[in-house]
Amino acid sequence: MADIFTVAWKELREMLIQGDPRGRSKLSLLIVVAVFGVLIPLQNGRAWVDSPLSIIVWGWMPFLWVSGIVADSFAGERERHTLEALLATRLSDRAILFGKLLAALFYGFVLTWAILLVSLVTVNVAFGQGELLIFPLPLSLAALSFSILISGLAASIGVLVSLRAGSVRQAQQMMSIGMFVLFIPFMLIQFIPANLLQSLGETLKRTDPALAAIWVTGGLLILDVVLIAIGMRLFQRSKLILD
Amino acid sequence: MYAIKTTQFSRNFGNLKAVDRLSLEVPRGIVFGFLGPNGSGKTTTIRLLLGLLDADEGQAEVLGFDTRQQPDEVRTRCGALLEHHGLYERLSAADNLDYYGRIWHMSKPERENRIRELLSPLELYDRRNEPIGRWSRGMKQKLAVARTLMHHPELIFLDEPTSGLDPVASATLRDDLETLAEQEGVTIFLTTHNLAEAEKLCTQVGVINHGKLLAVGSPEELRSRTSAPRLYVTGKFAPQTIDQLKTNPLVAKMEHHSGRLVLDLTDLTRSYEIVAQLVGVGAQIDEVRKEKADLEDVFLNLVEDENRGVA
Repeated sequence: MADIFTVAWKELREMLIQGDPRGRSKLSLLIVVAVFGVLIPLQNGRAWVDSPLSIIVWGWMPFLWVSGIVADSFAGERERHTLEALLATRLSDRAILFGKLLAALFYGFVLTWAILLVSLVTVNVAFGQGELLIFPLPLSLAALSFSILISGLAASIGVLVSLRAGSVRQAQQMMSIGMFVLFIPFMLIQFIPANLLQSLGETLKRTDPALAAIWVTGGLLILDVVLIAIGMRLFQRSKLILD
Repeated sequence: MYAIKTTQFSRNFGNLKAVDRLSLEVPRGIVFGFLGPNGSGKTTTIRLLLGLLDADEGQAEVLGFDTRQQPDEVRTRCGALLEHHGLYERLSAADNLDYYGRIWHMSKPERENRIRELLSPLELYDRRNEPIGRWSRGMKQKLAVARTLMHHPELIFLDEPTSGLDPVASATLRDDLETLAEQEGVTIFLTTHNLAEAEKLCTQVGVINHGKLLAVGSPEELRSRTSAPRLYVTGKFAPQTIDQLKTNPLVAKMEHHSGRLVLDLTDLTRSYEIVAQLVGVGAQIDEVRKEKADLEDVFLNLVEDENRGVA
């Protein structure tokens, strides 16, 4: 376990603390927090905290953050010629793989919750009128599990892509295509016949939200485990050296 | 016990025999130079010894551990500076070393002491908190050597550590390596195609070409085993003098370039006969010098002989 934390420590240090001497990464983080923590909540008003639809935003956000950085995990090490030195250490395959996954997951989770906390402050300041506006407990619990699992999903997809990609640019392109594929169902909604869409809406309304959240959580968990298992299978020192 | 012992160790990439039945014994506590031209199998040998690649045939033990069965044990006890320095350029020098200290479960005070201990003699300690991205290649290479020693390994692999450095940086790094090797008492397996480097640093050398080990021994042994003693004569020589010398049975091989004769003699103790012959025909001799061939000559002879054999 200590080895996993060691790898994650280095990843996070590179990402955040000394990643960019000119502070560009810190500036882009500030912009992200300003847009998603201030601007969008201001547009949504009180609905930001009580609408169940906000769960979609909470699910989408960690995927976006993690996919932006995870492409660098192995492809970046390979491109900067640091991978072989890392593979020549005493670290086990699992420690390297899980360390990189943990760093990406932690980054996505912490950034998502930092933005949600800022958004709560924004909504309370702008629309609170003396009343404390907070997310309902079931919604908070769903957001908690979704932010972890979706960060994990993006991290494991990203690590898989990064393991196979020849360069960071290629890994980023593949992740962008993945994001696009993920949004195809949302884009296709407009082509669904109105009566079918209506009956789908009725079915969703009748569904117990808690039960739906449990199903989605379970599905995501299985997907995460399967992807991590594939990653463990693909992670072979000799193959990585020769690639 | 040997630091490295291989028996008929082989690795192929398709039809290419990258390492071909390598049998080698490297005693502990020495600097062993592995010499060979580019693409001769030096880097693949290191990768095999570290268990990063699997051998197709044969066996290898590093510090008593089988490289195929116990690669983790091997890597735990070794340090490696491979083809690239492998440093994280966005991190500081201290963070780079700290990361490797953490990997080997060193405590914080241990890591701090070790960073000071390693960087001070390299004159990098005062710059330890700088991101290393803008450092010179020589400084990075020094830091990479320090990183391989961070966890007190018993054996380190250095794959062409001075490659790509300017002559001054190379000489400085060689001096630093010599100091560190003495100070740390570690076994060093050094690959290089810089013969001066091998001559200066190595107790023993092995010569490899096309994956085959051609010779092993101390630089002195290799010089005496594989090359004829030489006589160097400087002066003015008439063409007929050169022709007469060629027929002397004492002369095994002769080269003549701008007033300099290089003669491989079958018996160096009879060199006075050559001098007498030259004086006898009226050659104007400035200097006569006897010496054995240097490691570069030995290396080139071995590689050329092997290349002729392969061809």
